[in-house]
Amino acid sequence: MGFLNPNNFIYGLSLALLVLIYLRSRSRPTIEVSSLMLFDDAPAPVASVRNVRIDPLFWLEMLTLAALTFAIAGLYIMRPPSPGHGRSHALVFDLGAAMSARDGSGTRIDQARQQAMQTIDQAPVGDEFSVIGYALEAQVRHPQTANLVDLRKALADLVPMAVPARTTALRAALIRARGASEIDLFADRPPAPAILADAGSTSRVNFHLVGSGDSNLAIVSLDPGIPGSTRGRVVIRNFSARPHPAEFAIDLGDSEQFHQTMMLAPREQVVAFFGPLKTGGLLHARILTPDAIDADNSRYALAPSGHAAQVLVLSPDAAVRDDIARVLLAVNANFQIVTADPAKYVAQSDAKPFDLVIMHDCYVPALKAASTLLIYPPPVAKGPQGISVNGTLASADIRADATGDSTAIESLTLGATRVVAVPEWMDLIATATGPNHSSIPLAAIGRAAGGPVGVIAFDVRDHLLLAPDHLDALVLTVDLIKQLTAPRDILIVSTGADVSVPATATAKVTQPDGSIRTVTPDKWGRVRIRPMQAGRYALESGGQTTQVLANYYDADESDLGAKPQPEASAPAGKAAAESSAQSARQVQPLVFILIALALLALLIESAMLIGHAGRWRMRHV
Amino acid sequence: MLETRAFEPEFLRKLDRLVLGIKRARTVRTGQRTLGRVQGLGIEPENFKEYAPGDDLRFLDWNAFARLDELMLRTYRADRQVEVTALVDASASMGLPERDDKLGLALAIGASLAYIGMADNDAVRIGAFAMHRGSMKLEATPFHRRRESYLNFKPFVTSVRSGGDTRLGAAVDELLLQRRPAGTIVVISDFLVNELDIEDALKRLVAARHDVKVIHVMGEQESTAAYPPGLYRIRDAETGEVRETMLGPATVAALRRKVEKMAARVREICTAHAIAYAQAFGAGNLESFMERELPLLGIVR
Repeated sequence: MGFLNPNNFIYGLSLALLVLIYLRSRSRPTIEVSSLMLFDDAPAPVASVRNVRIDPLFWLEMLTLAALTFAIAGLYIMRPPSPGHGRSHALVFDLGAAMSARDGSGTRIDQARQQAMQTIDQAPVGDEFSVIGYALEAQVRHPQTANLVDLRKALADLVPMAVPARTTALRAALIRARGASEIDLFADRPPAPAILADAGSTSRVNFHLVGSGDSNLAIVSLDPGIPGSTRGRVVIRNFSARPHPAEFAIDLGDSEQFHQTMMLAPREQVVAFFGPLKTGGLLHARILTPDAIDADNSRYALAPSGHAAQVLVLSPDAAVRDDIARVLLAVNANFQIVTADPAKYVAQSDAKPFDLVIMHDCYVPALKAASTLLIYPPPVAKGPQGISVNGTLASADIRADATGDSTAIESLTLGATRVVAVPEWMDLIATATGPNHSSIPLAAIGRAAGGPVGVIAFDVRDHLLLAPDHLDALVLTVDLIKQLTAPRDILIVSTGADVSVPATATAKVTQPDGSIRTVTPDKWGRVRIRPMQAGRYALESGGQTTQVLANYYDADESDLGAKPQPEASAPAGKAAAESSAQSARQVQPLVFILIALALLALLIESAMLIGHAGRWRMRHV
Repeated sequence: MLETRAFEPEFLRKLDRLVLGIKRARTVRTGQRTLGRVQGLGIEPENFKEYAPGDDLRFLDWNAFARLDELMLRTYRADRQVEVTALVDASASMGLPERDDKLGLALAIGASLAYIGMADNDAVRIGAFAMHRGSMKLEATPFHRRRESYLNFKPFVTSVRSGGDTRLGAAVDELLLQRRPAGTIVVISDFLVNELDIEDALKRLVAARHDVKVIHVMGEQESTAAYPPGLYRIRDAETGEVRETMLGPATVAALRRKVEKMAARVREICTAHAIAYAQAFGAGNLESFMERELPLLGIVR
């Protein structure tokens, strides 16, 4: 016996509510009588009777609500499968990047598919199977069916994604498989025994380990450097326990910039320098040596343009202007930076538009700029592009980071922070918590009609950007500047990240494998895609093409020789064996029985109420 | 709404054959209460009697004196009209339980008796009493004698609403202050008041030489204690006093015993003062009450 959705026991609060209603409105109704003289000889109620009155209607309502609560919570019992009825199986597949690793003649997902087919073939006729996949999230790929044709097709459609398989997704997948009497889990590494033990409490779990090789190379990072100034570097890692040759090349656009072959020691990570590049552009690093996983053998980066971009920095604080100029030069040494105090700055009407305008604690509306970054925007009556400021907090803590590429920001206390209302056309990059505010936008970016606009809500005074203990604030600022100055038609993202691209009409998306799908833009003129494969996505909309280049790297997932998770105190196989030792029983949900019970109770109550109404009139019902 | 039944032709036809059980010759002479037929001031000759000193010489029969040489006095029947008052309790207790419509029953009985009383051209009126804000409110119709004017009672009967306290003694005081000649007074009430008040009020009516008749009305639900079982707060409609009680079989039995006890006590008081007493428990049997029960008790014939 157990519950499929124990969280739904929250509905049990309705019982408490019923008791409250009962105590308040049904316990002592007041009736007016002609005279209390008539009741002089009536016995006085005793205390116990006042508290616990046997009211059949109340108990029937309690029974109804309790039955419905148990039904919603998914009460079930385990019972052996009935003769003549097929058992239910859930086939759960790891669809992380490691499952695309080549092992022998095929990939790990092929091995998993083959084992699953064997399981299906060996199962008695009438058994039903469902197919569930997980990587970043769990997804039911095919519901329970005994149709082997559909099942084979669902298995054939399983494709590993260039993302890591998360433990939470595995848990979610096993929860979704709970209705089955038997769960077959296909993964390239054993999960924590606790996870299997949880799943084994309701179903028999069979774990199928696929893959054995560990020969894999990966590009960890690619830094293009600054064209004409600093060298770029690429970091390559050998995850194999053996020495591994690595031939890799770096292309800038269509021309090869670097080509080298080296021998990497077991589990060695090397840094290779190249350049400096002569011009900016799209940089593509590739490992040419065949290895297990392809997704981590390719990486894109954008080398800053060599042309002298004009940047205007406005701030009432000279130190801030200086700090921002330093950061800008660090991002791109070719920037030509003009700094000014907004109170004294006079815009030239015939001046060439700036490539980027950064306004700190000020807002000058008449400036012509290809992109704008507002830092600590002032609370002006009419904000730029629908951005409004609703107050200022003395301090705020960075809560989450959605940039994907940047390092994970955990908790960092910032100084003065504006409470900014971000319009819907902007994407939040980071949020913060503050006094009396559970979540306020900290950084956001969006594309308006006049060009990209970024917002940073925290103040950067007191050399915040240069303070070593506030590195995350600097990373956030650099990310925004890079995104604002990046070419409009190229986006470099991590696989699994949500990407929004401006679109004037329905967009045609060409995926790395050549498949094409269409996406409809939202009311803000954006289409959202989520690249799950590494490589180049092309979005065509309204005659314009935007390239989305998805990079994949995950140290845990790429490490094919990884051992079981450290929290696994007992061998996974033991847990699996233990769960397999359970008799193959089937989950029998009691939902219909409970609903029938609730309906029966309601019918009895209705009959009693009709009887009461007939005898005492509606007033007493 | 039961009171309107008393004005329905079909119901009235059933009452046509009934007359009030009233001692007709109730004319009094010089302040003495006398039973039986006595000298009156009517115009219908009744008998002769010998002259006695002090007799009114206007009634000497000179023809008899001429024939018999004896002073004979001609006597006449007294006026046969008796004033009949149907006094209905309109206190708040008469309005509850609502489904019983006790007040409607009381007014219907009162109006029916008025209709019956008109058969003999007696002067009839209907009154309603209740205590409102510390003062007795006794309202009554003018006297009507002929059935042609029976419908004049309808506006009054249909306008009476329950409310206020029952103060039978105060109502009797108010009635006696009107200094009407002795007549028949029919008191219609649930008598949910102190028994001393009941006895005192009825005694004073009798003492004022009225022929008093009592009709005790109770609702069916009230007299059978037919309330839904459960724990209740009960509020007295007149005093507003609240009490908690558990309605169940034991309480129902106790309530029934109490009703019987109170009815028995009212009957006992009436018997002690030679007052006709009738019980009208339940609004559903108005017709049988009027046609069968009242004749049996001699209130109507």
